[in-house]
Parts: sequence; C-alpha cells; structure tokens
Amino acid sequence: MILAEFRRGIAFAAAMVLVSMAILASLAGCGGQGNVAHQPTTGEADQVTLQLNWFPEVEHGGFYAAKLCGFYEDEGLDVKIVPGGPNVPVVQQLDSGRVDFAVTNADRVVFGRDADADIVAVMAAMQHSPRCILVHRESGITSLSNLRDVTLAVGSGPAFYKYMAKHLPLENVQTVAYPGSIGPFLSNRKHAQQAYVFSEPYVAKEKGADPVALMVSDVGFDPYASTLIVRGEMIRERSELVQRFVRATVKGWQHYLAKPASTNRHLDEINPDMEPGVLAYGAGEMAKLCLPDEMPVERFGTMTADRWQTLVDQLAEIDLVDGGVILAEQLFTTQFLTGDSQGAVAIEE
Amino acid sequence: MNSHRVNERRNEEVVSRVRFALIPPLIALIVLLVIWEGAIRMYGIKSYFLPSPWEVLLAAWRIRGELAGAVWLTGRAAISGFSLSLVSGSVIAMIFAQSGHIRLGCFPYAVLLQTVPIVAIAPLVINWQGAGLQSVILISFVVSLFPIIANVTAGLTSVDRQLVELFRMGGANWWQEAIKLRVPHAVADLVTGARTSAGLAVIGAIVGEFFTGNSTSQHGLGFLIPQRIHWLKTDEAFAAVAMATLLGVVMFGAVGWLRSTVLARWCDARG
Repeated sequence: MILAEFRRGIAFAAAMVLVSMAILASLAGCGGQGNVAHQPTTGEADQVTLQLNWFPEVEHGGFYAAKLCGFYEDEGLDVKIVPGGPNVPVVQQLDSGRVDFAVTNADRVVFGRDADADIVAVMAAMQHSPRCILVHRESGITSLSNLRDVTLAVGSGPAFYKYMAKHLPLENVQTVAYPGSIGPFLSNRKHAQQAYVFSEPYVAKEKGADPVALMVSDVGFDPYASTLIVRGEMIRERSELVQRFVRATVKGWQHYLAKPASTNRHLDEINPDMEPGVLAYGAGEMAKLCLPDEMPVERFGTMTADRWQTLVDQLAEIDLVDGGVILAEQLFTTQFLTGDSQGAVAIEE
Repeated sequence: MNSHRVNERRNEEVVSRVRFALIPPLIALIVLLVIWEGAIRMYGIKSYFLPSPWEVLLAAWRIRGELAGAVWLTGRAAISGFSLSLVSGSVIAMIFAQSGHIRLGCFPYAVLLQTVPIVAIAPLVINWQGAGLQSVILISFVVSLFPIIANVTAGLTSVDRQLVELFRMGGANWWQEAIKLRVPHAVADLVTGARTSAGLAVIGAIVGEFFTGNSTSQHGLGFLIPQRIHWLKTDEAFAAVAMATLLGVVMFGAVGWLRSTVLARWCDARG
C-alpha cells in the first residue's frame, strides 16, 4: 500500500517536473533566451493557412513569433505559414479561398478591391512604408528631390516609382529593372536602387559600400506595409475566428518587437539567405516603422480611414485605380483590434 | 496575252485556296472565343482571374498607345536578334560545312545554345552587358541562333553527291561550287530554320525584357506583362500576351511570305 502510494507520488512528482520544464522551456523560447518551439497540443484546433508575400524575413517576424510562442495555439488555431516570393499571387490565393489569411502591402489591397477581389485589411504591421531608394554617399544626393544622374533599378510592379516619377524632377535618371540583388549597386557608384530600409542598407554596408537610404514616404507615398488581409466573406461568416487570429497575431508582433532574438533564429533557419546580423538590425529598424512617434504598443496594427483614403487618391492620381469607385471604409476594419485582450484602447475609425 | 490569262486564272486559284484554308481556323477561333466568354459568364469568374475575350479587347483598346509602343520596342529587339541570327547562323554554318572535323568539334557546343535555359542566363547577360535594348537583342539572338546553324549546315552538306562530282568534273573551283550549288541548295533549309527562329526571337526578346525591360522611357511587352499582373489588371496583361503572340505570328508569316515570293525559285525546286 505504502509502496503504491510512494510510486504514485513519484509519478506525480515526475509529471510536475515535466510540466514545469515544459512551461520553463516555452517561457525561455518566448523570453528571448531559448529557441524551443511551442509543442502544439492535440485537440480541436482550427486549421488555417497564412500566405506571406515574400520569403520569411523580419517583416513577417510577428507572425512567426505568434506561432513559435504558441499564441495561435492558445487561441485554438493550428496555423500553417506559407512563405511567399516573387510572383506569388497573394490576393488571388486569398480571394479564391486557397488560403485563409494573407500578408501584403496596402497598395495591393487597393489593386485587389479595384479588381473586385473580396479582401479586407484587418491589421497593419507597419505604420510607415519601409520602401526607400538606396544611393551611394559619394553621389552627394541627400534627398529624393535631388535624385539625378543615376541609373535607378526599380521593379516594374510597385506603384511607388510611378508616384515618384509624377512628383519629382528625376533629371537624367535612367531606370532599369531591379535584378533582385544589390550586386549592380555595389559595383557602380552611379547606381541607385529600390530597397527596404531595414535590409539592403545593412547588407550594402557589410559589403563595404557607404549607402544612403532615401525614404519614399518622404515624398508622401506611404502605404501601410505587411498588412494582414482576409476575405470579406470570412469576416461575415466566421468573425470570431478572425478575432482569435488577429488577437494572437498582434500579441506575436508585440512580442517580436520587444524580443526578436528567438524568432530571428527561426527565420535564419528557414530562410538561409538571411544572416543573423541583418535580422537583428532589421528587427530594430522595423520597430520604428511599426510603432512610430511614441505610439503605444497597445495600439499596434491600427489603421485610419484618412490614411487609406490618401492611398486611394494617390493611386487614382497615377491612373492605377478608379478613385471614384473605391471607398476607404471597404478596404479595412479595425474591429478586431479594439477587442484586444491586452486592453488596447478603443480605436476610433 | 495568253500567258496573262493563265496568270490570272492561277491568281484566282490561289485566292480561293487561301480563302478555303482560312475558313476552318476562323471557325475554330470563333468557337473557342464563344466557349471562353460563355464559361466566364456561366461560372461568374472574376475578371482578374480570367478576363473574357471581350474584356481583353476593351483593355487592348484602352491601353492602345502603350501597347503600340511596347510592340514597336519588342518587335525591334526581336527583328534585330533574328537578323543577327540569320547572318551569323549562316556564316557559322558555312564554316561548319567546310570540314567534318570542324562539325564534329564544334557542333556539340552549338547544341548548348539550344539547351541552355535562357531564363537562367538572361540575368547574366544583363550583368555583362548592362540593362538595355542591346541586352534584349543579345538574348533574342542567343535563343534564335541554333535552328539557323543546324538547318543551314544540313542544307550545305546534304547536296547530291552526283551534282558535286559534276561540278568538279567541270572544273568548278571552291567558290563556284559554294555559290552556284551549295548555297542555293541550302536556301530552303535556311527558310525552315528561319521559321522556327522567328518565333524564338520573339520569345527571347520577351524574356530579356522580363529582366531588363524598362531600360528606356518606353516599355516592351515583356515588361508590361508582369507589371499588369502585379497590378491585378489581368485583362491588360492578356492584351499584351496576345500582342506578343501576334508579333511571333507576323514574323513567322513574313518568313513564309518571303519563301513563296522572293525565295520561291530555290524553295519550290526542292518541293
């Protein structure tokens, strides 16, 4: 009898040790010291898919943090994150129902609505666009308004260059297709290229260049970046699921902005192109875009109708969308941000 | 007088033959377009997934100015690449035709032109050449070169043995043999190669523009297509694709037209 009780006691103690170890491990992983992924529990978790717009990088850090720290799991969600890349049709994937959530920049949300896609933004990870033009310091160019006499590599798709071309003199600026690498920039002092402020400038410096990053947002073109989008149908029919996903995602981002180290280790593993140094630098620089001007962390992800309207007007100005047809209110909602469990303030629309 | 009438009758025959040859493909096209348009209406497919033929037509009209500029730029690159292929391909083929040893030694490397994945080397070409029209022409040239080399080499070397011996018996020198026998014989093969090459040259130009298309203030078709897809203006992308296809068809047609007019003397002789 005594022996049996003793055995039960041992078993209980062992179980307690295991449980506390598991808790410790998860705390360590999300406290920024360890790299222990949260073990998913077996249960009736809702399986959802999140489509990224690019290879896993810092601009997706919060989504990975939410998964690694088990925030999704805590909300009863089993989230599969699908990395993107060039030419991944994010809006099409979402609108056709092949994925449940997706990440894209705000200008593409407007393109999507203009093309009759049933998509709505529910959170914006970055308040300000990380888009910049990289020039060599030797060029003497200090602002976009005196960008001249350079070969500028820009992608054909993004709207920002069309906006720049309309609003800046760009004297003797010859544009070429963006090759997807900073190679040509490094080898030619007369070269300039598009970039994300928290990525390429660091890499260029590492390779011995002395770059200056000129923010495109300074010209006034400043769409939200890394916005989380869902189908309007999903909001109408499964609003509670969207609420859980957004709540966990916001928590993930708040965690990532404070303690990016463990998530960055994971990003480094799944995207070998990303060096630990650029990830650490990137997370720090990006935080300024996610929470600018002393914005409290509770308000992370918020959006305003004014900002969306400005974007619609700008895209209409450069003839990319039909401005009269799209209403800013249809493009986004903050309804899932206000119910934040962290006690975020009510955000007026 | 008499011969004039014969000519007239022959012309009428040709016209009616052409007319007859055009009817079946036209019917097939109309049926296809009707099914396409119908499917979109029936299943309510969104335009940015798959635009209807009518929407593509409207989009083409909407951006006609830009499309015309793009066709001009891409067409110029493709024709330049194609012309370079015709000239250098023929010259290379003449060298190959000189000896079996040269052919054995070099032909495998000419085959590389055919097998190298152009989308993989296009960024390299741009690395070496810099972005711009000359890179696009070079890529167009690289992909359209091999059919010319292969066909013309075959044409120059497959001359009837007895005819060669006849020439030599008559004391013809190398030059006479080449100009009067081998080259005329190879014209038909050049045309065969050029037909394949013309389409490839357009593909090469488009691929080049994918990587370097916005080198001037004007944009080629290969620049327009991914851009419009990015903007979710699929109807305009389709219009650009249709123009690219049309450009290939026109170049192919031009080769066919040259074959049956200027080059008919050499080509018809071989049937």
